Amino acid sequence: MRSLIRRLCLSGISLLMTTSLSYAETEIKVGVLYPLTGAAAASGVEEKAAAELAAAIINREIPAPPGLVAGIGLPNLKGAKLKLVFGDHQTNPQVGATEAERLITQEHVVALLGCYLSNVTATASQVAERYGIPFLNGSSSSTPLTQRGFKWFFRTSPHDELFVANFFDFFKDLETKKGIKIKTLGLFNENTLWGTETTKLETRLADEQGYSITEKIIYPAKTTEMTAEVQRLKAADPDVVLQSSYLGDALLSMKTYKEQGFTPRMLLANDTGFIDSEFLKTLGHDADFVLSRDVWSLDLGDRFPLIRLVNDLIRQRNNINFTGSSAREFTAVAVIADAINRAGSTDPEAIRKALAATDIPGQGTIMPWKGIRFDTTGQNVLGSGIIVQVQNAQYVTVWPLDIATHDIALPAPAGTKH
Amino acid sequence: MTPPVKFSAFLILFAVTVAFPLVVSLPTYQNFAILVLMVAQLGVAWNILGGYAGQVSLGHAAFFGIGAYTSSALVTLAGLSPWIGLVAGAGMACLFALVVGAICFRLKGHYFAMATIAVAEIVQVVISNCDPLSGAVGIYLPLTPRGAAAFVFSGKAPYYYIALTLLAASLLVNHLIARSRVGYYLRAIKDEPDAARSLGINLPRLKLIALAVSSALTAMGGTLYAQKELFIDPPSVLGTQLSLKIALVAILGGVGTLWGPVIGAAVLVAIEECSRIFFGSSGLGTDMIVYGTLIIVVAVKSPSGIAGLLRAGVQALQARRRPGVAAPQEVEERA
Amino acid sequence: MGHITLPLLTQVLLSGVLIGLIYALVAIGLTLIFGVMDIVNFAHGEFVMLGMYGAFWGVAYLALDPLVTLPLTALLLFAIGVLVYRLVIRKILAAPMLSQIFATFGLMILLRGMAQFLWKPDHRLVSHSLVEGRLTVMGLQFGGPQLVAGAGAVIVTAAVWLFLNRTRLGAALEATAIDREAATLMGIDTGRMFALAWGIGATCAGVAGVLLSTFFPIFPEVGANFILIAFVVVVLGGFGSVAGAFLAGLIVGEVEVLGGFLVGPAYKTALVLTLLLLVLLIRPRGLLGKA
Repeated sequence: MRSLIRRLCLSGISLLMTTSLSYAETEIKVGVLYPLTGAAAASGVEEKAAAELAAAIINREIPAPPGLVAGIGLPNLKGAKLKLVFGDHQTNPQVGATEAERLITQEHVVALLGCYLSNVTATASQVAERYGIPFLNGSSSSTPLTQRGFKWFFRTSPHDELFVANFFDFFKDLETKKGIKIKTLGLFNENTLWGTETTKLETRLADEQGYSITEKIIYPAKTTEMTAEVQRLKAADPDVVLQSSYLGDALLSMKTYKEQGFTPRMLLANDTGFIDSEFLKTLGHDADFVLSRDVWSLDLGDRFPLIRLVNDLIRQRNNINFTGSSAREFTAVAVIADAINRAGSTDPEAIRKALAATDIPGQGTIMPWKGIRFDTTGQNVLGSGIIVQVQNAQYVTVWPLDIATHDIALPAPAGTKH
Repeated sequence: MTPPVKFSAFLILFAVTVAFPLVVSLPTYQNFAILVLMVAQLGVAWNILGGYAGQVSLGHAAFFGIGAYTSSALVTLAGLSPWIGLVAGAGMACLFALVVGAICFRLKGHYFAMATIAVAEIVQVVISNCDPLSGAVGIYLPLTPRGAAAFVFSGKAPYYYIALTLLAASLLVNHLIARSRVGYYLRAIKDEPDAARSLGINLPRLKLIALAVSSALTAMGGTLYAQKELFIDPPSVLGTQLSLKIALVAILGGVGTLWGPVIGAAVLVAIEECSRIFFGSSGLGTDMIVYGTLIIVVAVKSPSGIAGLLRAGVQALQARRRPGVAAPQEVEERA
Repeated sequence: MGHITLPLLTQVLLSGVLIGLIYALVAIGLTLIFGVMDIVNFAHGEFVMLGMYGAFWGVAYLALDPLVTLPLTALLLFAIGVLVYRLVIRKILAAPMLSQIFATFGLMILLRGMAQFLWKPDHRLVSHSLVEGRLTVMGLQFGGPQLVAGAGAVIVTAAVWLFLNRTRLGAALEATAIDREAATLMGIDTGRMFALAWGIGATCAGVAGVLLSTFFPIFPEVGANFILIAFVVVVLGGFGSVAGAFLAGLIVGEVEVLGGFLVGPAYKTALVLTLLLLVLLIRPRGLLGKA
């Protein structure tokens, strides 16, 4: 036991020495915090693969598709390589803060990326703020994160307020352009930070825009059964079920809908569990007709060629497709590399200034966005959401209507089999 | 150990801990030390109830969370200093402890332990659904102004000394209780409950005192956590995992010993941090395998805790030095 | 909420029974281990997880339905239970309660880590199985997987009960549970009895995992979803009481589903826990716990 600890510590020290000494000049370290163990590990591992692909492209280990901003690399730093140092925050906010501090003070990273989960991003970015190290957040959607008046915090992804507003814009478009009238909503959200915040935003916008909420369910995340929830939804039978669930709960709810004989007239999900690569893989045709907000979809490849080209790269490397989350993490790595390159140095303040001056056109990224430009709070103002639908066991983009690849399809009325 | 030896050992320890942040300036190591001190303090607080009164609580996160939430709510809603919140949180936890005690002290052994888990889970559900406390969204604490009055610091050292003071205070309380009549009676309750009752010791009242003191100290740890991380939400300050960790450091170090939880905290935090730092970034779960295995090994190899192991070692040494004298019995170091 | 009608209420009531049966099955293994040797097994949810993976790999590699591989998975879990006893638990028999908790807690983390290491952190699902589909009786809907799982839980519980009460080996196990020393004097090999308890305990949890696998997602951390409920059921029923666990499982399932339906799902866990505390106030040793 004691010798084991000693050996562990020794190997650790030697590990630290080699990493911090031998590459000191030619490597620029960026810290990356993802949930690599624990309940969200599946997402974290995919995000890690996406970030590594981005680094490989930046470092010219893989030829970059033409037009990709990340393909420029770091010419202003005389051939220096970008090195990502990964940390595991285990979905625990205190561990996130501890890891952020370790990466900053011991690995001497020049910037931090992460953390996927909003509550961990909250504590880790607070450490970066204290040390004056840029923190670029790729995929946490909690709105208050950019309302803290932080100087060193930037977020490329749109946040919940915009996403929820998208739902209601979508309803308006359905009514005016497709003749589908939505009146009643059923909210079905999980009970942690994200689901609770979403519930509040949905309630507020529904009130403002004259929709009636006929059922509002907040369920405990990681529940063992959803019978009561589904029965209440079934009894209310709203025009649209608006659902926020992480993957495990999303799968359980889909199974429970089926077994309790409930086909929502329209199921509009809030990203995350419903767009995880495992979701379609496990459900196949059972997921048909599910709508979800997203930020990325493979079928947009015709309009945004980089989406398909870069997705081919991650297919070759890791045998996975991008998801909305991993595509955003890929983009975050590209954005930080762009900023470091423009800064032309590894000085945190120079990188922060370069980040604040970021202006990347949408065509240079793998996102269907107008681009990346931060406002004074550090929020990207050119990001946007899309709505995808599972049709024939594939995600297709159905909104915004100007970039949609498919028409929205609605399930056959209850009682008939689809 | 003889008193003078003990005293000088204590002095050295005191000097080393006070000088630590002055000598070691790397924030990562300072942060590691703070984590150890914080967890140790929680373990020492837990030990007052779990070690001396023999009541195994697996719901101490409730008190921790109440402390964190009270001070944070006072900061964000009323603009009061976290220092006031520290005291108010301890008071709230005390009050809550009286309610918990009234319900749970009727139960024995495993039933008590499980009931405390239930209480902590209920508190988590209630706070998650409580809008004035920001519910599940959590409370963001302001990063400025900084300084002693605001309980927010730029460097690590102030947090270190606050954590150290809190730990020292908890150890002192623990020591005083162990030496007092209350402590004497508490041990009597633990070892011979029936005999203690027949002597007319007011059992429920003594247990309540132990619980109240333990919960107040735990709540202060909660306030320190909130001010250090500047963000709290129900899963991070009220989760069952935290309750288990608090109990684990005491068990690991040695239940019912003064220094046990401190040793336990150092070992547990070291295992946690090392396994994560060296194996965590792979995404393969190897850090959990290492962490889990080490815990099992410790539990199997030293069932009475590391303090028990050390004591046995010291006794064996003494017995060898003074042949003919039987190994001293376990009377000395209960405190 | 829409109108509460009698058929709707019946539907909810019966759904509560079905999930309650699963809870009972998970908890019976836990209570059996406790009853025989006074150890609370924090890694019990991980046995459920292993059972689920057993079913999943049966489908993935052998293309056999979870129900077909169930006997094999049960045997495997029995072996794992005995192995855990031999390697870990046997060495902490004399240790204080807290050290035992500590060891099983470590085991919990170890098993989760191993599952992630071996099988990746992905969520998986047995998407097509023999029990797929649903049954409609008099306007009430029942999922096939839930019906089969409920029936399976009843059969396994009955089998465990019969084993404990109608066989010599079962009697020896019960005797060990009641008085370890007396049992030793009567010539019972208590070590074997302990191993047996762990084997049966793990098997019950594993079978519950197999039955769940047809409608519940499978991932390394899935045990965490079930362990709290299992504890509540065991305490509510009374530590060590198989009949108590069965009864308590049904009650907890009902409170969760019916209570969640009527009061609101946000509070369903709190409802269950409040009920537990209330029952303990009146009966400090649970519903059927031995004094």
